[in-house]
Amino acid sequence: MAEHLLEALTYPPIQRAAIACVLCGASCSLLSVFVVLMKMPLIGVSMSHAAFAGAVLGLLFDFNPFLSGFILCLLVAGVLGPLSDRTDMSPENMLGIMFSFLMGLAFLGMGILTRTKAGALNLMWGSLLSLSGSDIWILTIITSLLVLFVFLFFKEIRSVMFNRRLAAASGVPERMIYYALLFLTGAVVSSNLATVGGLLIFALLVQPGATALQLTYNLEHFFLISAASGIGACVSGLVVSYIFDLPSGASVVLMATTIFAVAYTFSPKRRSAILKGRNKFYENDAR
Amino acid sequence: MMYHESIIELNGISVRKAKGLLLGGISLNVSRNEFVGIIGPNGAGKTTLLNVIAGLERFEGTLGLFGRRESWRRSRDTRVRIGYVPQLFQIDPAFPILASEAVMTGAIGRLGLFRSPGRQEKEDAMRLMDMMRLTHLAERPLGLLSGGERQKVSLARAILQQPDILLMDEPTANLDIAVQKEVLNLIDEIHKQEALTFLFVTHDFNMLPSAMRRAVLLDHGKKVFDGDINTALSGDRLSRLFRYPLETFERNGRRFVSYG
Repeated sequence: MAEHLLEALTYPPIQRAAIACVLCGASCSLLSVFVVLMKMPLIGVSMSHAAFAGAVLGLLFDFNPFLSGFILCLLVAGVLGPLSDRTDMSPENMLGIMFSFLMGLAFLGMGILTRTKAGALNLMWGSLLSLSGSDIWILTIITSLLVLFVFLFFKEIRSVMFNRRLAAASGVPERMIYYALLFLTGAVVSSNLATVGGLLIFALLVQPGATALQLTYNLEHFFLISAASGIGACVSGLVVSYIFDLPSGASVVLMATTIFAVAYTFSPKRRSAILKGRNKFYENDAR
Repeated sequence: MMYHESIIELNGISVRKAKGLLLGGISLNVSRNEFVGIIGPNGAGKTTLLNVIAGLERFEGTLGLFGRRESWRRSRDTRVRIGYVPQLFQIDPAFPILASEAVMTGAIGRLGLFRSPGRQEKEDAMRLMDMMRLTHLAERPLGLLSGGERQKVSLARAILQQPDILLMDEPTANLDIAVQKEVLNLIDEIHKQEALTFLFVTHDFNMLPSAMRRAVLLDHGKKVFDGDINTALSGDRLSRLFRYPLETFERNGRRFVSYG
């Protein structure tokens, strides 16, 4: 089996798929830390559908689908960002409207697209085996930008994640961090249309972060665990799909769910929180 | 002369939202080192007033801080000089932040980009946690602390910022009586040690820090009284403000309110 896999790795399309898997896992899972800790899964959903709709429109008008997806993402971010700054309306409804509008736009595009529906379907669930060299370059650049962002602004990120308003009041450039994050979300989801696609990417925007949430109280470790579980899900999903001849996107998502389920079952945090709750009274008495 | 002493100057400050007028033309001057209570019923605009001063809310009218006119958009230097202790807020028990790290977030804005907290900041944080009797909890996840402990973390965090003005929004709400008293005593202690100007929002007149000498009463976004705390705490005035019969009595030179 192992020899078989190693032999497969000598073919350029498989090599590219393997590299893309690692990059996709890393970029989505780093982003998922923000999605989970800042409680913005709906923003993740809207952005991934914006990328999908944009790319379908790109196919329709013979425009680079990555670029058109990214542009629509930025437009959506431009609406979502100011919306979340306003405290007098709940953004959930607006996100719901945006999400369904983008979905409608994407399906409208697919309906009109008569020539080749296969291209649009690939954008929905990705096509790891038909990636081009430039797909890989775009992914590499965007993943590096995200890693750089986390490294350079780690302490600002921690304080914004902890409490956006307190961070803003105390002089942390909270808006800069938040808008950079929306920009990176757009870049990550649109560049990963080619790998896992616009529908399945959502699993990778939530599950790695949710997995880390079960396992650590340390934010540095949180990013590392999330990245490990995201990359793990992508690579193992690709292997499983290769061995059993299954769709790669679906295999990746099911692996991510399995990893989360294992982390949840054996979560030391959950158990210690339950124990602490039970012992709290005794602890307080002892003091 | 008065102009130079004022550290906060509000002139005709109004805040309008979809649900109506939250603040309707508030004017208020606060001098350096004053301890001012902002008291009023729910919806009086107390929190909105603090948010205007903290630069978290758009407003009409003019706001002067440290002798300069400011809008809700403002420089980092101005923001760093204003600390904020919010009402006890919910935090996911699993959130990855330790008590000591939460305290340290107070220094992040002041340090600026690309500078990590150094030995000085760490020592200051330790000293503050010691003052708040939090040292033994420093390495505990914040979400596993009790409400009172989390409020003391918020206090330490705000002071680590080294502000000139400290805004407190009902810092003792939803805490046990003994813990409320402990937090109030700490606030008094901070007032003695640090040269700070305090604005303290509350609707509980029996749980006031003893350093609070001046009270501003708010009702429906308007200022209805501004003066000595003991004058503010009159049965008639409070009954009208809270639309509920209240009586006051005096003990140890301070007025207290009986809820009848």
